[in-house]
Amino acid sequence: MQFRSLQSRIATLFLLLILAIQLVGFFAIQKGIHDNARKSIQEELTIGERVFQRLLEQNAQKLTQGAGLLAADYGFKEAFGTNDQETIGDALSTARDRIGAALTMLIDAEHRVRATTTNSHTAGLEQAVMKLVEQAERAGSANGISVDGNHPYQIVVVPVKAPIVVAWVAMAFPIDQRLAADMRALSSLHVSVLTKDDRGAWTPDASTLPAAEAASLALQLKDVPEGMGFFPKLSIGDSDFSARIVTLTKTSAKPAVVVLQRSIDEAIAPYRQLQVTLLFLTAVGIAFAAAGSFVTARRITEPLRQLADIAKQFGRGEYRGQIGIKRADEIGDLSQAFESMRDDIAEREREIIHLAYWDTLTDLPNRAQFTNRLQDAIVHAQKHNENCTILMMDLDRFKAVNDALGHGFGDALLKQVAERLKSQICDETDHIARLGGDEFAILLPNTGVDQAKAVAARILKSFEVPISLDEQTIDLGAGIGIACYPEHGADAQALLSHAEVAMYVAKTSGNEAVAYSASIDKSSQNNLSLLSELRRAVDRNEFRLYVQPKVLLATGEVVGLEALIRWVHPERGMVFPDSFIPFAEQTGFIRMLTRWVLERSAALCADLGRQGLFPKISVNLSTRDLLDQDLPVKFADILARHKVSSSSFCLEITESAIMDDPIRALGTLEALHEMHAELAIDDFGTGYSSLAYLKRLPVDELKIDKSFVMKMESDADDAKIVRSTIDLGHNMGLRVVAEGLENTGIWHLLAEMGCDQGQGYFISKPMPAEQFAGWLAAWTPPEFAAAAGANA
Amino acid sequence: MRAVPISAALIFVSALAIQSALAASVSVQVTNAAGQPLADAAVYAEPLSGQAVPKPNKMLEIEQKGRKFLPLVSVVQAGTDISFPNNDTVRHHVYSLSPTKVFELKLYSGTPGKPVNFEKPGTVVLGCNIHDTMVAYIHIVNTPWFAKTDAAGRAKLEGLPPGKYQLKAWHFNLPLGAQAAEQPLSLAADDGSASFRLNTKN
Repeated sequence: MQFRSLQSRIATLFLLLILAIQLVGFFAIQKGIHDNARKSIQEELTIGERVFQRLLEQNAQKLTQGAGLLAADYGFKEAFGTNDQETIGDALSTARDRIGAALTMLIDAEHRVRATTTNSHTAGLEQAVMKLVEQAERAGSANGISVDGNHPYQIVVVPVKAPIVVAWVAMAFPIDQRLAADMRALSSLHVSVLTKDDRGAWTPDASTLPAAEAASLALQLKDVPEGMGFFPKLSIGDSDFSARIVTLTKTSAKPAVVVLQRSIDEAIAPYRQLQVTLLFLTAVGIAFAAAGSFVTARRITEPLRQLADIAKQFGRGEYRGQIGIKRADEIGDLSQAFESMRDDIAEREREIIHLAYWDTLTDLPNRAQFTNRLQDAIVHAQKHNENCTILMMDLDRFKAVNDALGHGFGDALLKQVAERLKSQICDETDHIARLGGDEFAILLPNTGVDQAKAVAARILKSFEVPISLDEQTIDLGAGIGIACYPEHGADAQALLSHAEVAMYVAKTSGNEAVAYSASIDKSSQNNLSLLSELRRAVDRNEFRLYVQPKVLLATGEVVGLEALIRWVHPERGMVFPDSFIPFAEQTGFIRMLTRWVLERSAALCADLGRQGLFPKISVNLSTRDLLDQDLPVKFADILARHKVSSSSFCLEITESAIMDDPIRALGTLEALHEMHAELAIDDFGTGYSSLAYLKRLPVDELKIDKSFVMKMESDADDAKIVRSTIDLGHNMGLRVVAEGLENTGIWHLLAEMGCDQGQGYFISKPMPAEQFAGWLAAWTPPEFAAAAGANA
Repeated sequence: MRAVPISAALIFVSALAIQSALAASVSVQVTNAAGQPLADAAVYAEPLSGQAVPKPNKMLEIEQKGRKFLPLVSVVQAGTDISFPNNDTVRHHVYSLSPTKVFELKLYSGTPGKPVNFEKPGTVVLGCNIHDTMVAYIHIVNTPWFAKTDAAGRAKLEGLPPGKYQLKAWHFNLPLGAQAAEQPLSLAADDGSASFRLNTKN
């Protein structure tokens, strides 16, 4: 039997329990029966003994009466009185015959035997009779039992009164088969009379048992200790008996006993029927128990098995179907719990799938779903030799709107955008999806590039209408990238990334819908590798520090230099900052570059200082650098290591850089200002600026962007701007530096306007830092400047 | 005792009176084994010298009344007649199986015809065949000088001529067949006394 299964365990437990109970009951009752039988036998024997004693007593009484009858007879008395021996003898014989005694005797007052009916046993019995006579003299009459010749006799002695006691009549009766038979008839016990012979062995005198058994009894009796009255188990023949031993004679010289026997089997016989019935009931009970326990176990475990199967179904994802267990008990509860669990799980799965594949905000499919659909569309297109195109769309300036008007507004905006898109796409096979953030994608199966461009144009047109939300009107613009299967990519991932590239190009170049082409990709490919190359460049020392000197316009004296970074790419050669600085700014790598520049500038500063040269070194900081709160600390560390003072430095920041996060920028600038480094606004006039902030900034210098300076000779507006800027700077107490000084004419103009310093190709192109000292030595300011300076 | 003719009695008394002028009397005290006075004991003196003794000439009566023999104990001289009148409402069957005198008076009432003569000395036990409890004792003695003790165990033998006697005492409670106790008695002119301690059964 398998003991791992619950069913077999329950069944076995039940079965064992009931078996145990049945067996215990059975054996208890068996024992009860046996004990009962034994007790009843004992009682029967005890009663039997009493009956036997009573029988003996009755016998004695009968004898006494009989003897008394004789003794009272006048004729007998007369015969005795007249000593008529013959008559006496006849009277005795008659009396003996009437009663059936074995022996009758007449004893006179002197204890002499005057007459007797038999001679053979006279001697033996006489003694006993004499004793009884003595007893009778005291008690009136007497009776007793005596053994003679291995036969026990019951003897009675009665007085002959004439009128006083003149003689005694004694009568003896054998305790023989007849008595035994009477006893047996009365009590259904076996009766055996045994006497001990001269050798000390018991011999059966009379018995209701067959001779052989009686002999066996006699043999067994030998082993019985004296005085033991009860014999619980006696085996005679092939039956068992219980026996009671009744002592007849008190004299141990010639003991005689009567053994009353009860067959144990006979006594138990009535119970046999009961035992059989009991056994039968036990067997039936066990059979029922077995069946019942099996059924119960089944009933318990079957539903569990069903539920286990159903659970497996769940595991396979099958959530349908009825759990067919309708019960009111714990198993019913379990199955109900299963059902509701199943429903809950199915529900959650639906939700999860929904979350996995749908964008919760706009209720559009998400990237995962879009990708799956795209893959299916590609497979379909491949099969049917068709095109399929995706449009990827990014909203312009969404981040700005989000920041300005809050995320709640931004979300509502996105929902509106989704609605607009949906309204534009009417074909059922076309799918819109929100890829995340402010990116959307549209799948157009069976569509070529030109068709896709038309769709894109339609969408962009729809965005020309501003969106109004909460009394706000937002102008929307987007960049759309188009990628088509199979020209622009062979699988979903390729199409997606190419569409994305096209989209970025669309955004940056202003073209609002751009189809992918391999050339676009190159630059993006380049971009991808650019970052790793930049990192490598730092490690491999591919950067060079270049400097561009700044001169006082009044005197032509070199008072400072701007530190610039150049990249000498092992393959591409010199890479200009415009190629990698914007990218570095986007990726945050700019901070590494800035640090590098600061480091090298400090080294240069120290170097120049040792040569007795102390120009102010200007280093460009980017937005990211401004937002880096550790910058002042790093700066201080660099200064400390190179043992240069912060006042040798001027840090240049663009307007836009400040405006991105004015508060934090201000914090950093304040810190730098307190370190006594100078600060300059770079490219002034070209970016966003707030004059309010400007007046709060701890700035020392203003640098006019070269775009104004370079054309100021020819462009009057530019000149006006330059002039205004110089005035503004001076009015605010700032030094003004002009970038892009390319000829003497501009120098003169600037000097005339009062600009403080100039920087440009005319003075010098940026040069490797190590060449500066040499250049400076060779530098001579132009004559007019020198002259102006001499004159001023 | 039936009234005897007055004249005979007078004569007898005077004879006795003459006799007593020459005779002595003996007072006897009888006790049992425990020393208690024994009533109904027969006390009698048998002369040793073989002198002639007067013959009895009286008749005794032992009546049956109330299913009892009255008196219980009688002492008579050998040769006395005893009659057994039945004064009871029922009939009695008087018998004796004592060897001294075996006789029976079958079922009668009133007075039987003849009295019974007891010629031999000895003890006779009387019984009634119908009533087992009826018993009487007659102790027949060979001397005219006998008496029965009273409740105090005393008896007086009178009119004994001086001489030597064997004084005997008997009680029915003595074992059956036992002899009477005896002691010698020498009597002179004066009265004597004696005592017996009898080994009775109770």
